[in-house]
Amino acid sequence: MLPTQCPSCRTQLKVKCLKCENCETEVNGTYDLPVLANLPEDQQQFILRFVKNSGSLKEMASELKLSYPTVRNLLNDIIQKIESYEK
Amino acid sequence: MKSKDIFGLMINPFTRIAGLPAFGLGLLFTTLIGFFGAANGVIFDGVLDVHFPGKVTIIDSFLYLAIDLFSLVLVMFIAGLFVSRSFRFVDILGTMTLSKAPFLILALAAYFVTVPDMKDILEDPSIVLQSASFLFILILSFPIIIWNITLVYNAFKVSCDVKGTTLNINIIFGLLISEIISKALIYLLIKNSFQLT
Repeated sequence: MLPTQCPSCRTQLKVKCLKCENCETEVNGTYDLPVLANLPEDQQQFILRFVKNSGSLKEMASELKLSYPTVRNLLNDIIQKIESYEK
Repeated sequence: MKSKDIFGLMINPFTRIAGLPAFGLGLLFTTLIGFFGAANGVIFDGVLDVHFPGKVTIIDSFLYLAIDLFSLVLVMFIAGLFVSRSFRFVDILGTMTLSKAPFLILALAAYFVTVPDMKDILEDPSIVLQSASFLFILILSFPIIIWNITLVYNAFKVSCDVKGTTLNINIIFGLLISEIISKALIYLLIKNSFQLT
């Protein structure tokens, strides 16, 4: 799992370096993490399942053995988090 | 399944069941409550009310339950319109119907209860203390009503995705208003229009 927060002060981490494993080229800079990478692992997994289920909350509910409103509430939590990151 | 999971499901089954399946299961419980309530002389005359008049007709039993459920669903649906961004009526209907389930315990337990005569109670209220079975069901009714309120709380929380103070305020006022509406409807519809007991 990609670390997204500073272990010392909990501030959002930035990407400083990217490396090509083929030719060893390194790209240095200060890049923001993608919004989705900032979410906790369980919420990232939820989004993956959501996409794989073609965005059907009903199918998600039956797959996760949860009720429809519970799945919708989990999605609402993710939406709220994404909106707070985007501000 | 661990006992903690079972307890969790008992106070909040709505993370697993809502909508039409919850409504179906809730209707099954409500039907049983109606039958056993009439058979054992228990009436649920209000959203949070239970009384033991001794004799209850099957029509009264079901009519009172229908009014209770209608009042609760109506008030919670209107509350949902104010506080929730997205919710489905069928979830409110299903979860609120299922939240009535604990009352089946009282409807069944009433079989073993000997209710003292109301005239005798009015003359000497201490007579209630002499009927062990009546005392037992009175004490039992408190945790059952608390269980019912907990279920209503979780039903609204899951159905409308509401948390914190907003949730608490809605539950307190929602239950109070639905209790008043149910009492008013019982009085207006049953006592006046249908001339039932």
